[in-house]
Amino acid sequence: MSVRNREWPVVLALTPVLILILAPFVWLVISSFKTEAEIGRADPFTWPADLMWRNYLDAWQIGGFGELVGNSLINLVGVVLLSLITCAPAGYALAKIRFPGREWLFYAFILGLTVPVQAIVIPLYQVLFGLNLVNTLAGIVLVQVSNGIPFGIFLMRSFFIGVPDDLIEAAKIDGASHFQILTKVFLPISTPAVQALVIISALSTWNDFFLPLIVLISPEVQTLPLGLVRFASTYASDYRLVFSGTVISFLPIILLYILMQRRFTEGLTQGAIKG
Amino acid sequence: MAGHTGGLSARMSKGRAAGAALPEGSPNDDARTAFWLVAPALALYAVFTLLPIAATFWLSFNSSAGFNTSASFVGVGNYAKAAQDPIVWKSLVHTFAWLAYHVVMAGGLGLLLALAVSRLRITQVFFRTAFFLPHLVSLAVVGVIWANIYDPFFGLLNTALTQIGLGAFTQGWLSDPALVLFSVNVASSWQGFGLYMLLFIAGLQNIDHSLYDAAEVDGANAFQKLIYVTLPGLREVMTFVISLAMINGLKGFATVFVMTNGGPFYQSELITTYIYRLAFQSQDHGLAAVLCILLSLLAIVITIVFNRWRARLSQ
Repeated sequence: MSVRNREWPVVLALTPVLILILAPFVWLVISSFKTEAEIGRADPFTWPADLMWRNYLDAWQIGGFGELVGNSLINLVGVVLLSLITCAPAGYALAKIRFPGREWLFYAFILGLTVPVQAIVIPLYQVLFGLNLVNTLAGIVLVQVSNGIPFGIFLMRSFFIGVPDDLIEAAKIDGASHFQILTKVFLPISTPAVQALVIISALSTWNDFFLPLIVLISPEVQTLPLGLVRFASTYASDYRLVFSGTVISFLPIILLYILMQRRFTEGLTQGAIKG
Repeated sequence: MAGHTGGLSARMSKGRAAGAALPEGSPNDDARTAFWLVAPALALYAVFTLLPIAATFWLSFNSSAGFNTSASFVGVGNYAKAAQDPIVWKSLVHTFAWLAYHVVMAGGLGLLLALAVSRLRITQVFFRTAFFLPHLVSLAVVGVIWANIYDPFFGLLNTALTQIGLGAFTQGWLSDPALVLFSVNVASSWQGFGLYMLLFIAGLQNIDHSLYDAAEVDGANAFQKLIYVTLPGLREVMTFVISLAMINGLKGFATVFVMTNGGPFYQSELITTYIYRLAFQSQDHGLAAVLCILLSLLAIVITIVFNRWRARLSQ
């Protein structure tokens, strides 16, 4: 069986599936350039007579998308950095240092990996309220980091377990502390794990809806998914605004993925299998 | 009591003395270093996860009518109330149906597409990338997109059905009580299958290729190779994907919240959406806490069952 012989029948069989799966994107992008009248005429895939770039300008201004994107970016950078700073050291300690209570800590973190965040939402809100963190980006960053800590620690820990102990012994003989071993020996060789942690925490933060819905009440502090939902329900009858606003919400991440698809794919599968 | 404390302090001072004599990296130093390495993660996790878990338990035995009111102990009163609330039962049944839909549709599509895509050489990256695109979209945004797809008048689905001559199949996809949960789950599964596909592709790459050669020598056809080599080789990934899909399904919230808000007539209410409604709209925290406990128990049971199953397979 040559490669040639089995490639094209499969491609042929997959093409209709591909069209079906991507149809929502194509339809939204085409519709987002139409006038209200053209959308009303109900021929979903007909190309618009004129590309209405105005729709995007209107949606951007009316929906305050500049602010939403800005908030989402602050949220993302905060969560990714804080996750790395907290999960890498903890993962190292749990993987490579024997200390009393290690088992207990391990089980405590397993618990967090299992319990859905919706199941603790009432006290979580009360804690945030007590700390004056409701309606702040700092608040959403802290709860999302905490929510991701169990997975992040397990990811780093299972990667670090695979690093030979000889490396630690050698570094110790050279007088290195555990902190130096972590930063100078372990982290530089942990690119796959760090990459997985960055991609997974970035994607889940960028797309999170439930926690922002609880924490971020005023429009000025809201993130993109939350802002889009508010925008889409406010302008529900203005289809061109809803369509262009929706495209603004998903296009950047999709373009980024197409540019970096190999890293994304590696990070996500590595993360899932290790976690 | 006194003896116990004395023993502890003796042990501690002994440890300190030994620590001074030993070179760097003694057990005592190690414990201290480990503490500082774990402390930042543990502090955040304790405040925003462990404390709320404990507080949810406490809350489920108390009644409170809002965030600013004081709670009073009611024993198992909230549990009794939950057992009598028909919407609790509805949301539980819907959650199970939701999980089943998600595992079959998202997991099944992921598996089928992985089997097909992994046969490709020249175009594999293209198809893998394209099929993964929906997974990058936030479930809330997916909700907005699919609410418009299902729109009875301007929606993609009904207009497309009419145009290809299947006008008889047009529906009120989100207004039909019998259909709504399935319709919303299609949207969630459309977003979810891409990750499962990637995991299955990774699993397929790990199958020892010599097994296929051996099967071919034995005269196996493509179907037999699928049944006797590929699927057994995927068993571990399959249990993993099923458990991941169930946990993801259990967390399902955004698409329902955005598309139907649990309606019509609570026909798409899930445990998660009902928790939100009780906690933040009708402010019945005691009842909400009981549902929180129920949700946690489901998640823990699913995790344990699948971990056991996985451990048995890998023996």
